[in-house]
Amino acid sequence: MIVVYVIVGVVVLLAVWAVLIFNHLVRLGNEAKRGWSNIDVQLKRRADLIPNLVEAVKGYAAHEREVFEAVTAARTAMQQATGPAQAGEANKQATAAIGRLFAVSEAYPQLRASENFQKLQDELTDTEDKVAAARRYYNQTVYQYNSRIQSFPDLLIARLGGFNEREFFELDQPADAQAPSVEFPGSAAPQ
Amino acid sequence: MTLEEQIRSNRVRSGMLVLSFGLVFVGIGAAVQAVYGGASLILIAGIAFVYAIFAWFANGKMVASWTGAKSVTKEQYPELVRAVENAAIAAGLEQPPQVRVVDDPSPNAFAAGGSPKSSYIAATTGLLGMMDKRELEAVIAHETGHIRNRDVRLMSLAAVLVGVVALVSDIAIRMAFFGGGRRRGGGNPILMIIGIVMLILAPIAAFGIQMSLSRRREYLADESSAEITGDPEGLALALWKLEQDTTELQHANRATAHLYIETPLNNTSGVRGALSGMFDTHPSLDSRIESLEKMGGFQLSALVGQQ
Repeated sequence: MIVVYVIVGVVVLLAVWAVLIFNHLVRLGNEAKRGWSNIDVQLKRRADLIPNLVEAVKGYAAHEREVFEAVTAARTAMQQATGPAQAGEANKQATAAIGRLFAVSEAYPQLRASENFQKLQDELTDTEDKVAAARRYYNQTVYQYNSRIQSFPDLLIARLGGFNEREFFELDQPADAQAPSVEFPGSAAPQ
Repeated sequence: MTLEEQIRSNRVRSGMLVLSFGLVFVGIGAAVQAVYGGASLILIAGIAFVYAIFAWFANGKMVASWTGAKSVTKEQYPELVRAVENAAIAAGLEQPPQVRVVDDPSPNAFAAGGSPKSSYIAATTGLLGMMDKRELEAVIAHETGHIRNRDVRLMSLAAVLVGVVALVSDIAIRMAFFGGGRRRGGGNPILMIIGIVMLILAPIAAFGIQMSLSRRREYLADESSAEITGDPEGLALALWKLEQDTTELQHANRATAHLYIETPLNNTSGVRGALSGMFDTHPSLDSRIESLEKMGGFQLSALVGQQ
């Protein structure tokens, strides 16, 4: 009889453990999803600003056709990208193209003085900053999530529950995804 | 300590803070009872209970009115509001905190409120004038770190509770010495002396509670700032600028001192200066800069030399 109790007890404990791990993985996955939607919102905003920017510059520098085409192509790539890795590539392309567009605009003082252009430039800078901010959060959560589902014993639950690794977004150095940590003089002090 | 542990411990501490505040007030009540007799204990404990509930929900607003922090819009302060938005995104907050500005030439900033949704970040006009974009972002990220780590409720509660303990015991002591006209006449002199001693000890206990909260939290928020901006150098530069500045914040008092990124009470003369090590709410800026240097692997002196 005791053996039965022990077996039942162990099974129950294992089930509880599995549920806890499962819930934790779901939560981490949701954080990563939220992180991604933060990036996505900004990428959409950026893509929406591009046609206005092109129009604004065309008014003063209609013959810079090549640059406009590069920007428009980058925008299309951004809109067609599926998944963080592709979106990251497209975003890099867009950053480069927009950079060229701004470089071209340097030659047109009237354009640079126009209020509309300044506002667009300001908005684009803001989206860039926000993409960078959202990227830091997203990559950190993906790093946490991926390392959990790759390591034993969570790996077992992840396999059974169908948790898949997530892609990073514009991650140049893998170390960037890790939160910095440090020993500070206060850590030994009473709280 | 992971973020989750930090959040959990902050929640427990908030509860403990309210409880120990209750005990301090029962002490004050007992002391007043000893001095005056009557139903002082029940009366004071009742008022304290109501105040604590009020403080739990309204601490953010109370701190705002004490510190003179006014709500501002994105049109008025675009750079500040953007810094707050970006830090909130990088910290993974569901929505950016509200933004307030204190009209004061002394550079400083703090965060207050309850849950992340009802929290706000306040910066002084002095800070906005002194910091460049990178440094401002680092300071704002430090405050955002307090919000994300759920430090703000604990710290704002401490502010409003410490403030009222100091106020009440002050009033009670004045009344004991100068009040005259005691209704019950006489009373037990030993009890009276014990009562007065307790009234003097109450604010000291309250300050003790306040100090125990804040020092370590500042290092953690500095670390959070580096994590949020990815730029420990920016925060080190900002702290260095704060260190150079010695203007005192006009609205700061002892009760709200621990909220700020840097201690707002720079006055180092007299008794307070001599005792400053004992009653500091903040670790020294030098040691905070040092731990940032270790984190980021840089030397502040080299950065400052470039400027």
